[in-house]
Amino acid sequence: MHNQTIVEIQNLQKKYGKKQVLHGIDLQITSGQIIGYIGPNGAGKSTTVKILCGLISEFTGNITIFGKALRTQTLDIKKQIGYIPENAVLYESLTPMEFMEFIGEMRGLDTELTRGKAEALMNIFEMKPNLNQRIATFSKGMRQKVLICSALLHNPDLIFMDEPLSGLDANSVIMVKEMLIHLAREGKTIFYSSHLMDVVEKISDRIILIDQGKVIADGSFDELNELSNDENLEKMFTRLTGNTNHGEKATAFINAFEK
Amino acid sequence: MIRFLLSLFIPFRWFIEKMGADYNQFIRILQLKLTIDNRSMKGLGNNSKNATENVLIKQSFSQIFIGLFFGLFLILVKSAFTFYYFSHTFLMVMMAMMIISQFTSILFDTSENVIIQPLPIKGNTVSLARNAHVFLYLSTMAFNLSVVSIIVASFKFGIISGLIFIFTIFLNVLFTLSLANMMYLGIMRLASGEKLKNLLMYFQIVIAIFFMAAYQFGLNMVDKTQITDMVLPVYWFTYLIPPAFFSGMVEAISTLNFDRSHLIFIGEALALPVVAIFFIGKYLTPVFTRKLMDLEQGDRVSKVKIETSRNSFYFRMMSFIFVPRKDEKAAFKLIWKMTGRERQFKQTFLPSLGYIVIMMIIPFFTKSFNYSELIQSDRYLLILYIFIFVGVTLSGAMSTGNNQQVSWVFKTMPIESPAIYFKGTIKAAFARFFMPIYVLLTILLCTVWGLWILPDAAIALLAIYLFSLLAYYLSKPTFPFTMEKMAFQGGGAFMKLFSLLITTVALGFLHKFLLHWFDYANLLLIPVYGAAIFYVNRFLVYKKITWIEVDSINNYS
Repeated sequence: MHNQTIVEIQNLQKKYGKKQVLHGIDLQITSGQIIGYIGPNGAGKSTTVKILCGLISEFTGNITIFGKALRTQTLDIKKQIGYIPENAVLYESLTPMEFMEFIGEMRGLDTELTRGKAEALMNIFEMKPNLNQRIATFSKGMRQKVLICSALLHNPDLIFMDEPLSGLDANSVIMVKEMLIHLAREGKTIFYSSHLMDVVEKISDRIILIDQGKVIADGSFDELNELSNDENLEKMFTRLTGNTNHGEKATAFINAFEK
Repeated sequence: MIRFLLSLFIPFRWFIEKMGADYNQFIRILQLKLTIDNRSMKGLGNNSKNATENVLIKQSFSQIFIGLFFGLFLILVKSAFTFYYFSHTFLMVMMAMMIISQFTSILFDTSENVIIQPLPIKGNTVSLARNAHVFLYLSTMAFNLSVVSIIVASFKFGIISGLIFIFTIFLNVLFTLSLANMMYLGIMRLASGEKLKNLLMYFQIVIAIFFMAAYQFGLNMVDKTQITDMVLPVYWFTYLIPPAFFSGMVEAISTLNFDRSHLIFIGEALALPVVAIFFIGKYLTPVFTRKLMDLEQGDRVSKVKIETSRNSFYFRMMSFIFVPRKDEKAAFKLIWKMTGRERQFKQTFLPSLGYIVIMMIIPFFTKSFNYSELIQSDRYLLILYIFIFVGVTLSGAMSTGNNQQVSWVFKTMPIESPAIYFKGTIKAAFARFFMPIYVLLTILLCTVWGLWILPDAAIALLAIYLFSLLAYYLSKPTFPFTMEKMAFQGGGAFMKLFSLLITTVALGFLHKFLLHWFDYANLLLIPVYGAAIFYVNRFLVYKKITWIEVDSINNYS
């Protein structure tokens, strides 16, 4: 399964009304990799992820996932992917177990198998005692853990993560990072969209930087660093997105509100 | 439009400040709320100005349409006092219903706490701005509902009478709003957090039933022996009935009759809303802000409840009957659990059950009630078909809730047709809430009329089930409990439901006709309804609810 092209994107474009958000993205993603998908606010990261997960069906360009056309074989593709959204929004009156049972059943899993998996996954996050409590009583981080577990229930081959570490405590962040590395070793592909440069730098096999709907850098951190000699991804990010005058901006900001 | 609405408060600046609010902050908060309403009405991806206007026009049209029936009925009423009494009673009930369905979500909206609470906002400003917001909506609704009545009143009793009527409509809105505030804020003193949320929900259900009972009682007070000459006698307790204050005031000014009883009515109509507002400001609002924060924290700090994961025998039985197809079972199970827990659903649905009980009980307490005549009649059919309203509410209640951003869950599943979610949803709600009540009702009716009415109960059940399915499938396909309750909703849905209701009433009459045509003729309806239900569930729903349709309405962000 390693090193097979599993996602192929050709000239992906997306408009919201008159506003062009994606300006022709071309990508090939091979299996067993962690792809760090980074970019400034409004660059089009979440839009790309939502298109790839089948949440947005209006776009131009061609996308194939697992050799199947996204437009026509969405259903088959959805069976093999997992998605962790940016906002941890769930039905608050349900319990994690009920939510995961629903997800499992919709994905055609046996109820008992789903229950067993849900228990095991939640146990890793030390949330087994919370399995039958309503989600309304959970903190943001706890909800995020429920989302991570439910996205992995069906053992997907390709996992899309949109800011998956949002709200997680330090231990959970370390645990998820380790988990992602293990999953990639097993041949799973992880498409990881985030603002957290240090995490992306540490775990990604390949980093794709987009700005204003275009890919402006693509490669491993070492490959990208060879070209520029930036000390870390954060510096590379600020340089490539043309935002190097942070000090001046901070001074202007303080001046503006102290007036 | 927003500027015009805000300018209406300029003459009351002194009053607003006297109530402990900062006038400028009050206007800014109100302006913000109206701006947000104005934009959210346009909906996602629809930025045209015409779309907003269309929603408002449709909304106003449906309210005027409801008022039309009432206004035309009022042509028959000769007495001015009775005319206005009916009008104000009708308005109060409609406003109470509006308050119950919308007011709590607006008054107790905690979503803006994070913005408002850190700001140095003076005393009662937030509470007053929220109430002014609701006041504007209620006034618009009350005016739309009364347009036809105002025209009829102007022709019957003169222009002056019509103008005074308009003035009393606003007084009525103010009074009803104050009354609701007094009750809600009073309740807030009793509990906090999660308990308060539950208390508010059950309280809403109780007052909905109370208003309906009061309405029925109010109508029954009128001597209806001669429908064209209905007269409302004035007893000592008439001075305690709010619609009588306002009708007394209109009659007094338009006929220049200022006797003792009319002066009392004028005094009550003018003073009570003002006194009520002062009472609220002085004694009840100070706890409002603090309790509002409690409400937000309620779920977190409340004792954690462990849910049982076992499915009851009743669930398994209903699941077997209603969802033979495996793909619908997951949605059926999910919604079955959620309906028991979703507050907005219960707030919308449970009062409708209360109304039905009131509507069924009241006739038994009228003077003309005769038991032997009753059991000879086919009135059980009317009682059975009244349950259509429960079906209507059930269909509507399934969409609204506080889970506006959960739709992504459904979209990411590998499901060919979204129709299965909607089928599972309405079936779960119907099986869990409608069936037990209907079975209980049938048992009660059998004790009065005998077992021979069972086939009729089965036919009515099929008709109501068919109606509920159609009402749900033909409305906008929003995922369960994900649609925000808006103070203003489009009138298109109302017209659709209205035409469906007319059709079902016609089916009720068809049932009655067949019952008296020849023996067992009514049984012909069973295969007809059965086939219709099969068609709707097997074909129509898949045609109506497609991903294209669903994607255009639901937001997956």
